[in-house]
Amino acid sequence: MLGRGLKRKLSDYEENMAGLSSAFDSSRNLPYPLKRQLVLNMCLTKLQTYKMLVEPNLHRSVLIANTVRQIQEEMRQESNQQPINVCPGIAPSNPSYTGMESSGISLQLPSGISQQESSCCDLRSVEDPIENSLLIVSDDDMSSAISSILKDLDFVEDISPPTCLVPTGDDQPKFAENTSLKLEDDRQDLKGAECVFGSFEISNSTSYLKDLAIDDIFEDIDTSMYDSDFCCPPLMPSRPPSLATEEPLKTFPSCNSSSASNIQICRTDLSELDHIMEILVGS
Amino acid sequence: PTLCFFPQVPVLRPMDLMVEATPRRVFANAHTYHINSISVNSDYETYMSADDLRINLWNFEITNQSFNIVDIKPTNMEELTEVITAAEFHPHHCNTFVYSSSKGTIRLCDMRTSALCDRHAKFFEEPEDPSNRSFFSEIISSISDVKFSHSGRYIMTRDYLTVKVWDLNMENRPIETYQVHDYLRSKLCSLYENDCIFDKFECVWNGSDSVIMTGSYNNFFRMFDRNTKRDVTLEASRENSKPRAILKPRKVCVGGKRRKDEISVDSLDFSKKILHTAWHPSENIIAVAATNNLYIFQDKVN
Repeated sequence: MLGRGLKRKLSDYEENMAGLSSAFDSSRNLPYPLKRQLVLNMCLTKLQTYKMLVEPNLHRSVLIANTVRQIQEEMRQESNQQPINVCPGIAPSNPSYTGMESSGISLQLPSGISQQESSCCDLRSVEDPIENSLLIVSDDDMSSAISSILKDLDFVEDISPPTCLVPTGDDQPKFAENTSLKLEDDRQDLKGAECVFGSFEISNSTSYLKDLAIDDIFEDIDTSMYDSDFCCPPLMPSRPPSLATEEPLKTFPSCNSSSASNIQICRTDLSELDHIMEILVGS
Repeated sequence: PTLCFFPQVPVLRPMDLMVEATPRRVFANAHTYHINSISVNSDYETYMSADDLRINLWNFEITNQSFNIVDIKPTNMEELTEVITAAEFHPHHCNTFVYSSSKGTIRLCDMRTSALCDRHAKFFEEPEDPSNRSFFSEIISSISDVKFSHSGRYIMTRDYLTVKVWDLNMENRPIETYQVHDYLRSKLCSLYENDCIFDKFECVWNGSDSVIMTGSYNNFFRMFDRNTKRDVTLEASRENSKPRAILKPRKVCVGGKRRKDEISVDSLDFSKKILHTAWHPSENIIAVAATNNLYIFQDKVN
């Protein structure tokens, strides 16, 4: 039963992440690609944070970079099985730990950045692919896609992206032609399902939205309270959220989630986009 | 008339113990990365210090020179995928040492073979268990501590969830594996999010190499008897024990019904972690560091 209770603003990014990770741990129904995207996002965020430290921790950065590389490799292999590679993705390559000795790590994830990097705003450094990968999000196309989607759904301010924010562009063909992705719910068409923001194809996003028939789902619900739901159709509950934890992990530091509901996850995802946009815009 | 030089009779006042550490020698400028280990050699003349990418050999009397014996820094830092996490000298053979890596491997090196120990004499690695594979597999395989047994025949390694004992003569897998807190396996994402997954726990042998000990969360520490295969979980906290009281074994409840006195996984306090422990080399006396308190425990004295 979707909670009609108080809408809680997740203004703290850490709180968002805690909710996401506890959902990851407690839910067996979370689709694998979504879990993977969540982990990827967490990794990139951590790498970004570590870069800003006075003394970055090389050990942790290496471990996280290896995890990212492993995930990207997996995603690339999956997309290679698809005939169409719609968008130029980030070519995964080895991280660079140059500059670690003297002034800190300048961690490059994909060093072979597509031509999109040149059109990205707020390009702080070419050698900064973490930002580049996030910058792809802030690409002009992406921004207009986001704003058009927002306008369509008449969103209120506080939104964040789905967990699968960080795109490789490879997600797009996978989801467009997905047959292998299994959901326990088996309810929704997965076309472009998981990553509304996962591609730069505006057309795909809007077609997804048309498919969704949001009005039907929410006809009896005040949509202003559930402004994030569009982004996670596979998790869209017409029954009790499958991700609700039985025993909330109350004692994890900064964990405040008492019901890791689907809505919670979607909302935190959108807050994440917000946060990332803030970083990029430098506000 | 009595002469009185002091307004009051001087009294002896107990003061808090003040410990002031002063460096006797400083061995500087040999490390570019974070130092993770130091180990005194059995010759008592040299010692080594290890950072993420290099290991240096020092003479105690020479503070401005060190000898680089391991260097895993790649020419192109972009190719870096593994760092050194711990290192220790063999207890008897002053030319032998081991170092562990972030990929869960241990290399044993002999300094007699070459000046720069780039080629290991032995390489210890356990094949990955595919059934336990997760996004965090590599992170939790990173070895946080490596310790030779007192006999010098075994090494013990600690990774995030287990303690492993290796026979120096068998490189392809450990001879014993002990689960320290396997109930955390289903919480790895949360532990990754709050960085607990990077906590570096140490491990120690008792004097006879029959018992091993390591720390956990919630001020718990664990002991494993290698012979009887029994293990115990104890807690180092003031609330739950008075001085000279016998420690009560603790148990973490993994799910289902929680018995009285058990603690559920979700109630564990992850800010109370026991990373450092030590065992007296010949007596059954242990030291356990719990946040900012040091506990010394000993065998029950009859």
